[in-house]
Amino acid sequence: MAASRKATVVLKTVKKIAIQFSAFESNVRSTREFLAKVGSEKARATNINCEVISTVKHDKSEPVVDITYVDGERLLMKGAKLTSSEMLNTFQSLCTAKDPQAKTAAKK
Amino acid sequence: MSVNAAFLRHFRNRRFLSKMAATLCVKLLPKQGWLPLTQSVRHGSKAVTRHKRPMHFIKQKLMAVTEYIPPAPAAPPGAYPRETKSVQEETPLMLILKRNLEKVFQDCKMIAVVQDSSSSAEDMMSLRHRLHKHDIKVKFFPNEVMRSFLNNSIYCNMAPLIFGPTVLIVSNEPKVKEMLKTLRGSPQMTLLGACIENSLLSAEGVLSYSKLPSVTVVQGELVSGLTMMTSRTASLLQRHPAHLSALLQQYVKQQGTDATAEEAT
Repeated sequence: MAASRKATVVLKTVKKIAIQFSAFESNVRSTREFLAKVGSEKARATNINCEVISTVKHDKSEPVVDITYVDGERLLMKGAKLTSSEMLNTFQSLCTAKDPQAKTAAKK
Repeated sequence: MSVNAAFLRHFRNRRFLSKMAATLCVKLLPKQGWLPLTQSVRHGSKAVTRHKRPMHFIKQKLMAVTEYIPPAPAAPPGAYPRETKSVQEETPLMLILKRNLEKVFQDCKMIAVVQDSSSSAEDMMSLRHRLHKHDIKVKFFPNEVMRSFLNNSIYCNMAPLIFGPTVLIVSNEPKVKEMLKTLRGSPQMTLLGACIENSLLSAEGVLSYSKLPSVTVVQGELVSGLTMMTSRTASLLQRHPAHLSALLQQYVKQQGTDATAEEAT
């Protein structure tokens, strides 16, 4: 899978990202890293309309990332046993699949 | 020439104690067990052949026993994690930072841990300005220093909060409401937890703490609740005589009205 040259995430095809996790658990590390990368200024600058919402709970629930795309599709990632790079790869591959024209035009 | 050839042939045909003999001349043995100086090899099998020369059975056995067994290949150096974690010495900078942290924890009543996934410099400046109005400070400490300090102190349960880009928001007074209002203004700051007056609170705990009324109000509520219970017991005890007196009063009134009614008619 070709990794994008830049480390930033392109959020053009994403409508909303909702991340929820339980702060004191030890398995939330990858989810927090994912949040840090997705919520960064550069990523937000690619799409200002996209909302990144994070909820901190205390009920020992699993960390869950819920992404809603512009065309209505939802991607649900349970981050308890995933690494942040895996989650990023899945997310980016789906993004590029959704928006191939812009990507190929940009790469050419 | 012929003498040379004959001489050479003589040497070729008789090897000087270098090869196994095909035929041994008995009469050349001077004593028992002594090998002769020369051994005649008329037509011996050669040592170096084009096919693999069949080894003597004893030699075969020896070779089989002394075969080379290579050592098992060890795992590559990064395959398994180290059993004993190497403890790094603490640099003086870490010690200074730790001392600062200790002072912060001793001075401030409220310490909140917030994760900011993205904050440009201007956002951070404006946030700091807004918080400074309420006398709330924003501090950055490296994660390892934080974790090593927390694990050695009583606040060890805060350690799992310290992952990734975290910011410490500290203040002497527990001004939770103002802090929450300012943080709501910047959407990327996620409140993870807080240590208010040496008690660890989660994000929802912080919210409910902010909704708590002031101390006097709570005291008043407590006092009123307690007195309500005592007043209830007092009223229960006095219920019967009160009822009796009310009944008697009603009876007297009725007697009075009956008497006046009789007088009227």
